[in-house]
Amino acid sequence: METRRAEFWVPYRLIAPAVALEAGLVIGPLLVGFWYSLHNVRFFQIRSFVGWDNYMRVVTSPEVLGSLAATAIFAFFSLILTFALGFALALWLERDGRSATLMRAIVLVPYMIAMLVGSMLLKWLFSQEAGLSQLALGPLGMGDVSILANPKSAMAALVFNAMWRDAAFAMIMLLAGLKSIPPSLHLAARVDGADAWMRFRRITLPLLRIPILITVVRLLIHFVNILTFPLILTGGGPGNSTEVVVLRMFRLGFQDHILGPANALAILVFLANLALVAMLLLLFRRAGRL
Amino acid sequence: MTDVFAHALRRRAARLAVNALIGLFALLPILWGFLSSLKPTDKIVEFPPRLLPENPTLEHYARIFADNAAYFIANSIAVSAASVLLTLALGALAGYAIARFRFPGRDTLMVSTVAVMSIPIASLLVPTFTLLSATGLADTRLGLVLLYSAYQLPVVVWMLYGYFLSLPVEVENAARVDGCSPTRTLFKVVLPLSKPGLVAAGLFVLVFAWNDFVVAVTMTSSESARTFPVAIYFYLGFYGREWGPLLAASIVSIVPIVAIFVFLQRHFVSGLTGGGVKG
Repeated sequence: METRRAEFWVPYRLIAPAVALEAGLVIGPLLVGFWYSLHNVRFFQIRSFVGWDNYMRVVTSPEVLGSLAATAIFAFFSLILTFALGFALALWLERDGRSATLMRAIVLVPYMIAMLVGSMLLKWLFSQEAGLSQLALGPLGMGDVSILANPKSAMAALVFNAMWRDAAFAMIMLLAGLKSIPPSLHLAARVDGADAWMRFRRITLPLLRIPILITVVRLLIHFVNILTFPLILTGGGPGNSTEVVVLRMFRLGFQDHILGPANALAILVFLANLALVAMLLLLFRRAGRL
Repeated sequence: MTDVFAHALRRRAARLAVNALIGLFALLPILWGFLSSLKPTDKIVEFPPRLLPENPTLEHYARIFADNAAYFIANSIAVSAASVLLTLALGALAGYAIARFRFPGRDTLMVSTVAVMSIPIASLLVPTFTLLSATGLADTRLGLVLLYSAYQLPVVVWMLYGYFLSLPVEVENAARVDGCSPTRTLFKVVLPLSKPGLVAAGLFVLVFAWNDFVVAVTMTSSESARTFPVAIYFYLGFYGREWGPLLAASIVSIVPIVAIFVFLQRHFVSGLTGGGVKG
């Protein structure tokens, strides 16, 4: 009896340090941030309680609204293109063999290196000084166009950055799903005379539904919260054309030091994420992992 | 017969061409950055650009090391190593509890683990900075270690939980019968059997901590706590349009990651799907 009572607390003692760390550094900041978002804050000092004023200021600010539009455009195109490329890579590199293994590793390199470094290398690739864009666009009569100085092409460069880095992530997630499809299904369909397209439509797609949804939601969460790509590659410019919402929040908090509105925006971004994460959890539950 | 042969050959050539295209897409930006970093300053912006440097030089690499790069790299190594150790220690305890005990709150804990894993760090930055400044942990290496551990702990718990489940429970039962406490069993029996799992989880934290820029740039301001990626970011302002040192620093930061990746790739991919996809 004595030992059993002692045993009861063992798992709680084992998880206590982990729970404490998460509570302190993930939940704690959110509570503090929420508290600050309800106040007028000057130079890290809370001045006065202002209720929802900061939230009103944030949601009516033209800069924030503009940044929401930029985020939507970026996330939409990045999601479609990154997913499509990742899926194509997964199907192409699914088979065993040395060349497929090597190619999978090569595709993963942009994903493995620091986002900062990746964006820096692309900034150099796209910059006018490197001369590569001039060399490529010159024959089209656009030789003196700087890719990063035009709002549309700067956004396109940002989407390219997303594809270049994150297609590998989509690929790995979908490869894991593809591996779980028993090869006998494809074999049987083949015997019955189904061609490759038919097998893809009737076997691969339906059986991959949940992995596809999970990949899409995880990519979406990642793109909605993007900071490093625009901070390094475009600096949010030209003008504010590529200033996404997290970059706006970053600038409010860490460059302008307006902590009240910055925390209000952070809490709003967090709530938006919560909705996406809830979606993800539902998908996991359906996938039968939890 | 020759037709079949020619057909196979054509297929092979097509496959090779597609693979070459994929490789070019993935590696060209890195390769171009590397080649440019070897050119003397006046040749970097030469037009039309030359792919291979004419007189390769290491001057830009020498320059960043003259500008304190070694100190920032040491900071990065220290912070990364400490984060790995702390995360593995806490992750092993919690992962073991979930894998081997049934207790009230276990399901909630597992759902919260996945939920916290999915919360993007970006949405936490401003509040976290607010909290750290209030507690004096802002602008310290300790603060970074705690944050990196907090952010990677859910993934590590999940990975180690999966690994512990795959171990035979009989050995542990034997240890328990012999009078080992659960914690002692974990450290003396389970962990020594879990090296591959620990390596995979540790690598995950290591790469995250080594690569992180966003957390470090927001939570630190002085040079004493500056990690290498933040240093690269500051080089961007410091060197302005001087691409030589910037590219050299970028390449230096890539080298250890690529080295780890080449030697330990096997361990790696298992972590990416963590919180996973397949049943």
